[in-house]
Amino acid sequence: MKSGALLFLGVAAAFGLSFAGIVIGSNAQLGRQAPFYDDSEGASFPARLPGSAAAGQLAYRDLGCASCHTQQVRRAGFGSDVDRGWGDRQSVARDYIYQPYVQLGWSRTGPDLTNIAGRKPSAPDAGDLMRLLYGGQGGMPAYSFLFEDRKIVGQVSDDALKLTGRLEPPPGRQIVPTDRARELVDYLLSLNTTYDYPEAHPAPAVHPAAEAHPAPASGGEAKK
Amino acid sequence: MISAETHSPAAPAAVRPDSDSGPGRCVLLFMLGSGMLWLVLSAILALISSIQVHSPEFLADCAFLTHGRAQALAETAFVYGWIGNCGLALALWILCRLAGEPLRASKWAGTGAIFWNLGAAIGLAGIAFGGMTAIPMLELPRFVQPLLLASYAAVALAGVAAWTGRRREVMFASHWYAVGALFLFPWLFSVAQVMLLWFPVRGVLQAVVAGWFAQGLWTLWIAPLALAGAYYVVPRVAGMVLPAYDTAALGFWCLILLGGWTGGRHLIGGPAPAWIATVAIGAAVVLLFHYIVVFANLRPGFAGGATSLRFISFGVAAYVLGGLVDAITALRGVAVLTQFTHFDEAQRQFALHGAATMMLFGTLYFALPRIAGRSWASRGLVRGHFALYALGVLLLAVCLGTAGCIQGDALNDPKAAFADIAIMTRGWLLGATAAQILLLAADIFLAVNFFTTLASAPEGGDREGAP
Repeated sequence: MKSGALLFLGVAAAFGLSFAGIVIGSNAQLGRQAPFYDDSEGASFPARLPGSAAAGQLAYRDLGCASCHTQQVRRAGFGSDVDRGWGDRQSVARDYIYQPYVQLGWSRTGPDLTNIAGRKPSAPDAGDLMRLLYGGQGGMPAYSFLFEDRKIVGQVSDDALKLTGRLEPPPGRQIVPTDRARELVDYLLSLNTTYDYPEAHPAPAVHPAAEAHPAPASGGEAKK
Repeated sequence: MISAETHSPAAPAAVRPDSDSGPGRCVLLFMLGSGMLWLVLSAILALISSIQVHSPEFLADCAFLTHGRAQALAETAFVYGWIGNCGLALALWILCRLAGEPLRASKWAGTGAIFWNLGAAIGLAGIAFGGMTAIPMLELPRFVQPLLLASYAAVALAGVAAWTGRRREVMFASHWYAVGALFLFPWLFSVAQVMLLWFPVRGVLQAVVAGWFAQGLWTLWIAPLALAGAYYVVPRVAGMVLPAYDTAALGFWCLILLGGWTGGRHLIGGPAPAWIATVAIGAAVVLLFHYIVVFANLRPGFAGGATSLRFISFGVAAYVLGGLVDAITALRGVAVLTQFTHFDEAQRQFALHGAATMMLFGTLYFALPRIAGRSWASRGLVRGHFALYALGVLLLAVCLGTAGCIQGDALNDPKAAFADIAIMTRGWLLGATAAQILLLAADIFLAVNFFTTLASAPEGGDREGAP
């Protein structure tokens, strides 16, 4: 290889090819995906994020929650995602069209959160999530900097966390979530992919043993 | 033509410092020195992040060092601070040496280097205080990225000047890799910035672009920077024409052509279109050809001897092994076990530390005496650096890899609770922390040696200490 121009053009072309193939190609396929309008429900899915949840996604993003939690359920039979009750179906591209900053994640040091607000039989509520954030649990650190330890003046704040055991504040004190904690919890509660899109059920699998009988959602991890 | 490059056996005693002792040298030394400091900082942050994996309460109250941020800080300091300074400086130096000219446009490069470091520092502060983007390898806050791009352009200008101003028309393998890396980074970086942060694409496409970028940054920037050094140093120190050099061009084009396509293997099973993962699997397997070529070319390094060859050969072995493991874990049947586990992290660390950084270290040991006109201050520190770093990298890869396999196996069992998985992997994760301590110690050895070398008086003719 002697020519500098050839090297430059070759490198540019090779780069352009992978850009065109992967970025432009997938954009052509999915870039204009629209929400799915369901006549029988008279609503379209997915829903847009409420304002506070969108703000909460920014908190989720800049705290790096994605370094331990994914937001993608793989199809039944590929991993135990569905068996663990993380979702009743695989995640599809349409689930994410209204997410300003998609957080698919790359590590499962903690459980998947795709459908944390829609888990069956019981999904965590705001109080559960607040306590989990404040106290941590298992491998999850406590995010106590998202909360304020305040003196009780007059009566206890409506928002004060209901804590017991080691987390219980001393008498006369209360733990109140900051706005960021509230937004983060609003975001987590907006993560609900229970609506079933037609494309979430692809043609029957080639290996019927693995895919034809997805085990019922156990919900075993719902409270973890 | 090849012989012009490879038939110049550089016996240690024959080392001549660059004729240029002016501003170009200062720029290169500034970049190498700041890279060294970033490397130590990133090792400290990586240690913190590694402790948090098995002991989540560690520094949990510290908002700016919460686990997600500590991990991002470590990665950013490593990629933009260490590779971005040291990798780039060595590539510039190689291009100048091949051109037979001192560093030109050194004012541009110097200004660029200062602003690059400033940008990286602002970026790290931004991550720590809430501006993180949570995109692997692109965690820097949006506002600092244009600054980095502009300062990179200023630094790279010196490389372009060295390349276009070369006295001989002929080009060598180290040319291709250095020039390729120099041009590919700004393209990747600007596309990712625009499509992910300024005008984010829709939904899952963000993950596709992010995967393409992170993989591209490794295969099209970091790896070529490291390989440029290896291809430059090995024939000089071994004093021979590289074997199978005719295939080197094919190996290069294979990497440049296919490197960008392999990012989708992290999206297997997810909501992204399945063809992206399938193409990535195919590309990862075909890319094995590139690794074979690199191994065949750089084989003489394994004969050993000089310090720089020991580092580079370790790096080449890790690079080839890492490529093989990448191809194997890209297969769906294996990915179902390793995806989303510490095994992924093991691969990433092995590539960044074991392959790229080891090759850069080797090049640095060869280059510094020639840039600074001084031989390395301490041979003991060099030996300690190699032993600790090699041990650290291997221990890290083995511990994280094993922890990842245990974790992956348990994750696939729907009854295994996360608390139990944490207990099962704890021992191995403690091992990973021990490995991070070794890496930190090794980095400190290198930094101490580097700065004492610079502080020592320049030597005259005697350069016995040069590796």
